[in-house]
Amino acid sequence: MSDYIVEMKHITKRFPGIVANDNVSIGIKKGEIFALLGENGAGKSTLMSMLGGMYEPDEGDIYIRGEKVQISSPNHAAKLNIGMVHQHFKLVSDYTITENIILGVEPVKKLAGIFPYVDIRSANRKIEELSKSFGLEVDPTKKISDLTVSMQQRVEILKVLYREADILIFDEPTAVLTPQEIDFLLGIIEGLRNGGKTIILITHKLEEIKKVADRCAVLNKGKLIDVLDVKETSTRKMAQLMVGREVNLKSDKNPAAFKEEVLKVEHLNVKNEDGFEVVKDVSFTIKSGEIFAIAGVADNGQVEIADAIAGLTKVSGGEILLNGKDITNESIRKRTEAGISYIPEDRQSFGLVLDFDLSTNLALKQYYREPFAKKGILNKEEFEQFGSSLIDKYDIRSGQGIKTQVRSMSGGNQQKTIIGREIELQSSLMIFVQPTRGVDIGAIENIHKMMIKERDQGRAILLVSLELDEIMNVADTIGVIYNGQLQKIASSESLTTNEVGEYMMGAKHE
Amino acid sequence: MDTIIIDGLSFALPLFIIAIGGIYSEKSGITNLALEGFQGFGAFIGALSAVLMANASGTDIQNLFYVALLFSMIGGMGFSIIHAVLCIKFKADQVISGVVINILALALTTFLTAQINSFVFGTASDKFQLGVSDRFTIEGLANIPVIGAVFTNVYPFEVIIIVIALFAWYLLYKTKFGMRLRASGENPHSVDAAGVDVAKTRFSAVLISGLLSGLGGMCFAYSISANFSSNIYMGYGFLAIAALIFGNWRILPTLAACLLFGFAKSGGAFIAQSMALPSSFTDLFMILPYVLTLLLLIFFSKSNRAPRALGEIYDKGKR
Ligand SMILES: Nc1ncnc2c1ncn2[C@@H]1O[C@H](COP(=O)(O)OP(=O)(O)O)[C@@H](O)[C@H]1O
Ligand SMILES: [Mg+2]
Repeated sequence: MSDYIVEMKHITKRFPGIVANDNVSIGIKKGEIFALLGENGAGKSTLMSMLGGMYEPDEGDIYIRGEKVQISSPNHAAKLNIGMVHQHFKLVSDYTITENIILGVEPVKKLAGIFPYVDIRSANRKIEELSKSFGLEVDPTKKISDLTVSMQQRVEILKVLYREADILIFDEPTAVLTPQEIDFLLGIIEGLRNGGKTIILITHKLEEIKKVADRCAVLNKGKLIDVLDVKETSTRKMAQLMVGREVNLKSDKNPAAFKEEVLKVEHLNVKNEDGFEVVKDVSFTIKSGEIFAIAGVADNGQVEIADAIAGLTKVSGGEILLNGKDITNESIRKRTEAGISYIPEDRQSFGLVLDFDLSTNLALKQYYREPFAKKGILNKEEFEQFGSSLIDKYDIRSGQGIKTQVRSMSGGNQQKTIIGREIELQSSLMIFVQPTRGVDIGAIENIHKMMIKERDQGRAILLVSLELDEIMNVADTIGVIYNGQLQKIASSESLTTNEVGEYMMGAKHE
Repeated sequence: MDTIIIDGLSFALPLFIIAIGGIYSEKSGITNLALEGFQGFGAFIGALSAVLMANASGTDIQNLFYVALLFSMIGGMGFSIIHAVLCIKFKADQVISGVVINILALALTTFLTAQINSFVFGTASDKFQLGVSDRFTIEGLANIPVIGAVFTNVYPFEVIIIVIALFAWYLLYKTKFGMRLRASGENPHSVDAAGVDVAKTRFSAVLISGLLSGLGGMCFAYSISANFSSNIYMGYGFLAIAALIFGNWRILPTLAACLLFGFAKSGGAFIAQSMALPSSFTDLFMILPYVLTLLLLIFFSKSNRAPRALGEIYDKGKR
């Protein structure tokens, strides 16, 4: 009998074309917070999904409380008192909190001894008690669609607790939270541990591990690198193990040198499809040589601002001036020609044509003019030359060079493709929306370097990001958005991460 | 006035039960344009079993009404397996599957009706003669002014439909099966994560839609058409879809939409009759429900919201 509550021995899991977990063995002790650290795509979620019953390992064995098990379904995992709080919430937005929590394990009563019905009332009561006892107060009768992201996460946690889990897996739980919410959540997680539960925390944020975890396993490209005692290991060492080389966590940049004004947004208003005002009276300017970042919790109007400037969304009021010229109602192509590059959030549907090859994608913004097309006829050679030169210049890695279908490339390289293409346009304004989402740390470093280089060459850059670290790292000026309004515009040196977090929640006013 | 109510109800209720079938399927996330085919095929099986049995036992076909009803439900359900298998197991496009099933139902039942008539009964006919089901009147209640019409000349199937509709509401909104079904149409991933089989849930939903549609089709065959023939494919299934969309995929508002269609139809017929117009003009009044559909579409299409995962193919492995 070992002292491990969970043991995974020599686990291998393959997906078509990739080994997601390669002979990984870990043991987790009862009552500890065990962190799983690794870059995006390292195989963390896959490894834990095998505990949660979503996948079964191709090779290797799992032991729970000393007994060998084959976890065949989430139900089976729940029977073993294992619960997973997923990275992407799995909630029915039309249902109440209670309905979501009891789904699959509904308490049933009988009306007149014949007709079975779901007993929502007693479930409401039970969930209210449960939520109080763990410090996760919620109103069980509220609908999910009326909840903030952090509240939705509480529901996910309660779902697991309702099923009486005592091994809880959290998959990147802080990715969507503000700094204050993160602190709260980490407090809850510590509380759960102190109450005797075993916690597995998946993350790629080192500070969190430092703050709460007891031990930490590092994964890289599917392989287990090491299991560390958190107290005795430096953050630097962990980062190094995670990436597999020295990394620079803070990007160095020269002090900014602002020049002439490039973009001027005045009293901008944007309505969404339902006619609801999502951007309200927003004004700001960006100068040549400036990185202006919009910080905010998801869905507060930041993406709509970027879309309005790029011409993807209609403006319902206000003005947008580029180099002094009014472009408020221009077409997208006119704007591109006037000097706007756009790196969209959803790169797969708006940034790339996935089934075209790499060289075509690289020329996508220029194909219709010389030298790519002469009198409407495309010049293939020109495409290929241009493609090859960009592949070298931006270090785009792919299976078959310019002939590679973009669909088959990794997220990081798809992103480099778009960024390279957009930089080549030599636009005076570059808009980046979530440029590092779903990209691993090595590539993030790379993308930040590219942005700073373009800034130094005198471009104006608008960055929209949900990653506060990223914003603090690269921005010269920060505008914090909440509920469609810019709460604060200030230089990045004059703001702390915590202050930005408070503005993001609309909590701080002057 | 009374005829408007009586005829309106007897048209609206079969429509309503088909629409409920549609609600089940669509609430579970499976787009269902195949209602038209289901009701026709169900009615075909029901009519066929009634004529065969009448022929074999020599009973009057009127008395076999309940047998026909039972078999129409079985037939509709059996036919709906095609849609379920195509959409759920083979992950086919749900719109295309629906359209194909409608075409298949029309072709298959028309062909089989003619063949069976000539080989089994030795007649050259493209229909099964059924007659009109008996009606009843509740004496005391029928004398109340205006509302009395509701209790006058009632088809027995109207009562059956109301009972089934009540049960359908209870099943969809009060039981765990219903809760899981509706969740499958909103966010199948959440259902899967809760350890419930999305495919099975949706499969049963489509089967229920087949069962109820078959029943509705049979009621039409035993009332307004008095026979089974290809005339059953008059677009009732599509009208039912329109009703459930106006009803916002909810049972009670859908009943309201069906009643509106029913009264528009009987009202149109009444006006045409009382003005003693030539029959070509009567047809003009018969389009009233469809014109109404168009008008309602303009007002309602904005505020209504389909189930979130409607028509989306659910792939378990996909993240
Ligand atoms: N269902 C799947 N099908 C195919 N490939 C997958 C699937 N799930 C994960 N992968 C691949 O396996 C690798 C590990 O993914 P994942 O476990 O999600 O990483 P992490 O959670 O560490 O970011 C990635 O390359 C990913 O693309
Ligand atoms: Mg993951």
